[in-house]
Amino acid sequence: MARPDIALSTPLSTQAASANKRRGFFSASNPWLWVSPAVGILLLYSVFPLVFNILVSFQNFRTSTKAWEWVGFRNYEWMLYGNPLVKDFGNAIVITAVYTIVALTVQLLLGLFIALLLDARPWFSNIMQTLMILPMVTAPVIAGLMFRLLQHPDFGVISWLLYGVGALDKSEPLLGGTGQYALIALLIVEIWQWTPFFVLIILAGLKGLPHEIVEASQVDGASWLQRLTRIKIPMLFSVITVGVLFRLIELYKTFDYVMVMTSGGPGDRTTTLSFYQYTVTFQNVRWGYGAAIGVFIMVVGWLSAFAYTKIFRVKW
Amino acid sequence: MASTAQPVDWRTAQRLQHRNKFLGKLALSLLTFAIVFLFFFPIFYWFRLSVTPYRYVFTLPPRLDFPQITTAWWSVILGQASYQDTMRDQTGTALAAGVGGGGTLGYAMVQPIVNSLFYGLSSTAIVIFVATLAAYALSRFNPRGKQNLVFFIISTRFMPAAAVVLPLSWLYQQLGLTSTYIGVMLAHVVINLPLATLLLKSFFDDIPTDLDEAAMVDGCTRFGAFWRIIIRYVAPGMAAAAVLCLIFSWNEFILTLYLSRLPEMQTVPIRMQSYDTSAGPTEWGLLSAAGTAAMIPVFLFILSVQRYLIRGLTLGAVRG
Repeated sequence: MARPDIALSTPLSTQAASANKRRGFFSASNPWLWVSPAVGILLLYSVFPLVFNILVSFQNFRTSTKAWEWVGFRNYEWMLYGNPLVKDFGNAIVITAVYTIVALTVQLLLGLFIALLLDARPWFSNIMQTLMILPMVTAPVIAGLMFRLLQHPDFGVISWLLYGVGALDKSEPLLGGTGQYALIALLIVEIWQWTPFFVLIILAGLKGLPHEIVEASQVDGASWLQRLTRIKIPMLFSVITVGVLFRLIELYKTFDYVMVMTSGGPGDRTTTLSFYQYTVTFQNVRWGYGAAIGVFIMVVGWLSAFAYTKIFRVKW
Repeated sequence: MASTAQPVDWRTAQRLQHRNKFLGKLALSLLTFAIVFLFFFPIFYWFRLSVTPYRYVFTLPPRLDFPQITTAWWSVILGQASYQDTMRDQTGTALAAGVGGGGTLGYAMVQPIVNSLFYGLSSTAIVIFVATLAAYALSRFNPRGKQNLVFFIISTRFMPAAAVVLPLSWLYQQLGLTSTYIGVMLAHVVINLPLATLLLKSFFDDIPTDLDEAAMVDGCTRFGAFWRIIIRYVAPGMAAAAVLCLIFSWNEFILTLYLSRLPEMQTVPIRMQSYDTSAGPTEWGLLSAAGTAAMIPVFLFILSVQRYLIRGLTLGAVRG
């Protein structure tokens, strides 16, 4: 068999480097050639909208004359000091923060608990694990509609149960009324749909733990709780940080449930950041202000996620 | 202790231990089952609703049995029966003309399902092609700034869809893609590209680089090693990535809603949301039938790639 002599004498990396020098960008050993179609498409989706939104955020679209005018930083001032035309921006931040923190905490703890149960190998654990996947792959719109029925003030099963145990009064239901509990109604769907995510990733982490270490600690007399808090959870740390990052990204821009279940109401009690941006842009037709909020959401999200990956050393 | 009693004691102790172990397992299983049931219940209830006649829909306390099974809702969804007739049969009173959601298109789901399939399959084909190339490079080469490139790919998911809609609408208007099938399909490509790229990178990472090097020593070019050898090993991963892309495309909502204003271009979630209007009564029987119809293909798909679901959702960072 004829082999090129060069392959026998020089290491591959040197070969690749020389090939790269020879043929420039259009060489099979130039990684940027391979990633260019993907990066091109993604630039179109992320950098283009960002630049577009930055440009639009310094302008105002007059619906009466259908013309754009430059307004300087007015749209950003609106975000800081509020404005008379649309609902409160600060409120949207608070709602999003509360929603994110509560949902993440409950999902993580409940997910850890269920994962530990499934890891202790109950009967039919494989079937139960498969059943746990189903909520996650249901379309959020369908999940939202499903829970709107389950939480219906008159004939919803969840409402009926909550009335039954006295946790809720018929005059102030989950959905409707003054909307005191509307955010809880959204949290219930969120938790139902995404707790399984933590169950599955923690379960995957638990199954990947080296048996020797867990067993050695058992031999050394560590109790169940000690094994959990001193051995298992620290070893699952990297799995959990990745899971939390992905949930944070999604929770930060929660939209579908709000759209289907409450439309941000009653009042603005369930207006999340993402939904606020949507309302401003499409209902109030404040395109400039909407773009400013879009820039805010993107930049804050990007910086937080970047800091998060640096602090917790998330690597791909 | 008397030596004769010892074996008896020992045996009792063993039996006790066995029984305790059994009871422990039973308690564990019952508790786990109860919790899992809570998570499964909404889906079961939704399915039950889709085959239940109108008069049993709103009974409280909730019933979990099937007192009577009807295919009426499914017939409407599949375009076999008219909405007006079915509602008259089910409720006993005729609806006024024009009442109810669904608009002029009625409640048939056939067109949206065909649309969803088209967007899903065509966008997935493009995504897998582009993502495989990128994933191979990210796995095999180590260019400067690789971590930043990966972060950039992930960061495209931070943008709330609503903030992208306006720029994209403007761009589509310039390119003449507004309300075209290709325009919506491209949006679906963009949504799934980060997922597919990083997921496939994790599959490439599982294949030893010795294989590429062996191929290249034997006279393959870099591209030849990728195309003739490595891609064969990553084929199961590509299938898993494709199925996950199909599912996320199937579930996508906001971008499709705003990039396809024509009713005949709607996908399943968008048509479902339009059923639910303030103009008429919310038809839970029809909604649940449509919802179940939309869930069945996803559930069947997911059974085939269950193993890779977690890897997909964490973009390859957690090997499930």
